[in-house]
Amino acid sequence: MSEQILKVNALPNPTYNWLRMNEADVKFPAEVTEANPTVTHDPAVTASAVRYEEMQDIAGGMGYDMDLFIKNSGISVLKLSTSEGSRIEKPIHIDYTFRKEDETASAVYIDAADNSSLIVVEDFRSDDSASGFAAVQTKIRIGKNASVMLIQVHHTAEDFRLFNDIGTVNAEEGRFEQIELFLSGKTIYQGSRTDLSGKNSSLKTDIGYLLKGEQHLDMNYIANHIGKRTTCDIHVDGVLRDEAFKLFRGTIDLRKGAKGAIGNEMEDVLLMDDTIVNQTIPIILCDEEDVEGNHGATIGRIDDELMFYLTSRGMTKEEVYEMMAEARIDAVINKIPDAETRNAIYMSLKGHGEVKFLED
Amino acid sequence: MAKEKAEVKDIDHSLYDFRYEEKDTDFYKIAEGLTPEIVMEISEKKGDPDWMRDFRLKSLEIYNKKQVPQWGPSIDGLDMNNIVTYVKPKTKMTADWEEVPQDIKETFDKLGIPQAERKSLAGVGAQYDSELVYHNLQQEVADQGVIYTDIESALHGPYADMIKDHFMHLVPPTDHKFAALHGAVWSGGSFVYVPKGVSVEIPLQSYFRLNAPGAGQFEHTLIIVDEGANLHFIEGCSAPKYNIANLHAGCVELYVGKNAKLRYSTIENWSKNMYNLNTKRAIVEEGGTMEWVSGSFGSHVSYLYPMTILQGANSRMDFTGVTFAGKGQNLDTGAKVVHNAPNTTSYISTRSISKDGGISTYRSSVVINNKAKNAKNSVSCQSLMLDDISRSDTIPAMDVRTQDADVGHEAKIGRISDDAVFYLMSRGISEEDARALIVSGFADSVSKALPLEYAVEMNNLIRLEMKGAIG
Repeated sequence: MSEQILKVNALPNPTYNWLRMNEADVKFPAEVTEANPTVTHDPAVTASAVRYEEMQDIAGGMGYDMDLFIKNSGISVLKLSTSEGSRIEKPIHIDYTFRKEDETASAVYIDAADNSSLIVVEDFRSDDSASGFAAVQTKIRIGKNASVMLIQVHHTAEDFRLFNDIGTVNAEEGRFEQIELFLSGKTIYQGSRTDLSGKNSSLKTDIGYLLKGEQHLDMNYIANHIGKRTTCDIHVDGVLRDEAFKLFRGTIDLRKGAKGAIGNEMEDVLLMDDTIVNQTIPIILCDEEDVEGNHGATIGRIDDELMFYLTSRGMTKEEVYEMMAEARIDAVINKIPDAETRNAIYMSLKGHGEVKFLED
Repeated sequence: MAKEKAEVKDIDHSLYDFRYEEKDTDFYKIAEGLTPEIVMEISEKKGDPDWMRDFRLKSLEIYNKKQVPQWGPSIDGLDMNNIVTYVKPKTKMTADWEEVPQDIKETFDKLGIPQAERKSLAGVGAQYDSELVYHNLQQEVADQGVIYTDIESALHGPYADMIKDHFMHLVPPTDHKFAALHGAVWSGGSFVYVPKGVSVEIPLQSYFRLNAPGAGQFEHTLIIVDEGANLHFIEGCSAPKYNIANLHAGCVELYVGKNAKLRYSTIENWSKNMYNLNTKRAIVEEGGTMEWVSGSFGSHVSYLYPMTILQGANSRMDFTGVTFAGKGQNLDTGAKVVHNAPNTTSYISTRSISKDGGISTYRSSVVINNKAKNAKNSVSCQSLMLDDISRSDTIPAMDVRTQDADVGHEAKIGRISDDAVFYLMSRGISEEDARALIVSGFADSVSKALPLEYAVEMNNLIRLEMKGAIG
């Protein structure tokens, strides 16, 4: 089957070309079929099939080429909407199970009406031997004082390529919480862009990744502060081992007029092998005086004092590293409010023989 | 207050903006633009050896093939067809200040160069447009075997082979378009060699003055600090302001030997019509130390990221920088470091200030390669926005390829705290002075790293830039 090259995950403000972090040129199949996820939701949520145009004004983190690809693939868009003021307690589950040699695309549009709240869990898994491709796009419109929590869990097979794009627009006081867990899969490109358009709107992102073998994770997270007093908090915790590759692009864009906005970004990476590649480019763009932008990163080994303390208590260095790796992912999993989802993740990790988690 | 602002800004300009009209009879100017014929003419005028002439022509070929950077500030206002790449004062380089032509001498007098030489320097080089007009080194330093001369003399003297072995080896013309341009039309600059074990106790300085409108300055600085030696080198630069674009595409190559130490300090105050596309790079051998102190105040557009390659085990690098972007300025500055050996350490600390519509960008890269076991890096970049018409960005990149590394990074962008201004005002300090005091304190890490005279100059620059910041 013929292929096409798409430009994805471009930095909003590029830097030195020789670093090869500005964007990714990736191969996409020329044609795809529509994915068929299992969707379960509360009856108070309305599900319908809509045209792509209904959500195309919301930009995603992967960029224009991905939008065009999804639009031209001819698939229908699954729209899930809430009514004004509705509080949906039971999470919506969208479960993808990809099969061998699948080449699929999928689009979801979540429309949270004013004063409503909901949790959406998107679970990406595949047959153990699946070697395929999937492009998934999730666009979210968050109304005034509405709240959306999006939980995405990636545990596809070792030979699977997943391109996952998220775009969100927050109205006044709108709150977007995002939890991303990357546990397996051969290649994952992840883009996420949040436009904090309404005043006092907020974004909270927690990302955890546990990469091993030859896994390749390429991320592009963008928080655009447009409204006054908007806030964002992006936390990234990860572990790299074997020959894993990770690139994290994180941009906080404090735009003119976003007075009182505060953007924070923190990344903590534990490196466990000598053949890993860890790339990080945290960007703060600031076009407004009355704002605050902060970024911090720690990359490397476990702190010497901590290591000394734990080994003096009888643990081997390897055991200390395993424990710290578990603790990092565990901390992100514990932010998921839904016990059912948490347990499913623990079971999945156990199935992969990854680590012995404290809670399973 | 408004009256004071106007007066102070006049003073600000006059500090570096004075100029003497250049009579055609006093200078030799090459034609505008960039062609093989122009490059050949420069080469002939300079009496290049054959290898250098060929190197220039090869560099021009590379220049013509390379694209301008697709990132960073716009350089659309720079048209090489309008740039004069070589302007030679009709005077020979001298080691006697009295022999320097009167108008050029007065220019450097106003900039305080001879006073600085008397007070605090071991040697001085003064470049006017494309050529050095004065070069001197204290006898006692020369007696230690220290070489401090212009590159042209070195090309033809006993150090010719050393120049050939090092010239544009760290920054090859293939590096980027303006490195290639430099390779084609370079002129002037300094060569310093500090022999094994020699410690030069007081600094050397080169000062670069670009006086001709529409001209480019392409000086080359090559410093070799041999095993166990120690040097502090200071670079200063300025130019009067014209309504047409000027270009500075200098190149600095620094070789720091085993257990040697080099501090390279720069106070850059080019005029605000200048495109400053400068390349600086150092390579550090085992146990060596490279320290950069960098103050960027001038230029219309700057691309400046001194790079250090930590090639030997236990080598280290410190970079301390401050950038002040005012009206009409887009200053893209930062640092790059590559860790190639075990137990290497690097520390980058920068402060950026944006005011009056100025744009400052902190851009950096930290690369820790697989061989760099037990490497340590720490980056701290802080930016201050002084009004709501300015802009400040930070774009740091990290690439780590070994588990045995410790990398820490922190970045912060914000404004001057109202509480701090209020506190100082309640102690009887005017708002303008309070803000200037806070900004000076913000840039303290750089001024502390400079010799006293230069720290005073830097603080004066900040104070002058801050005048008129209120209201």
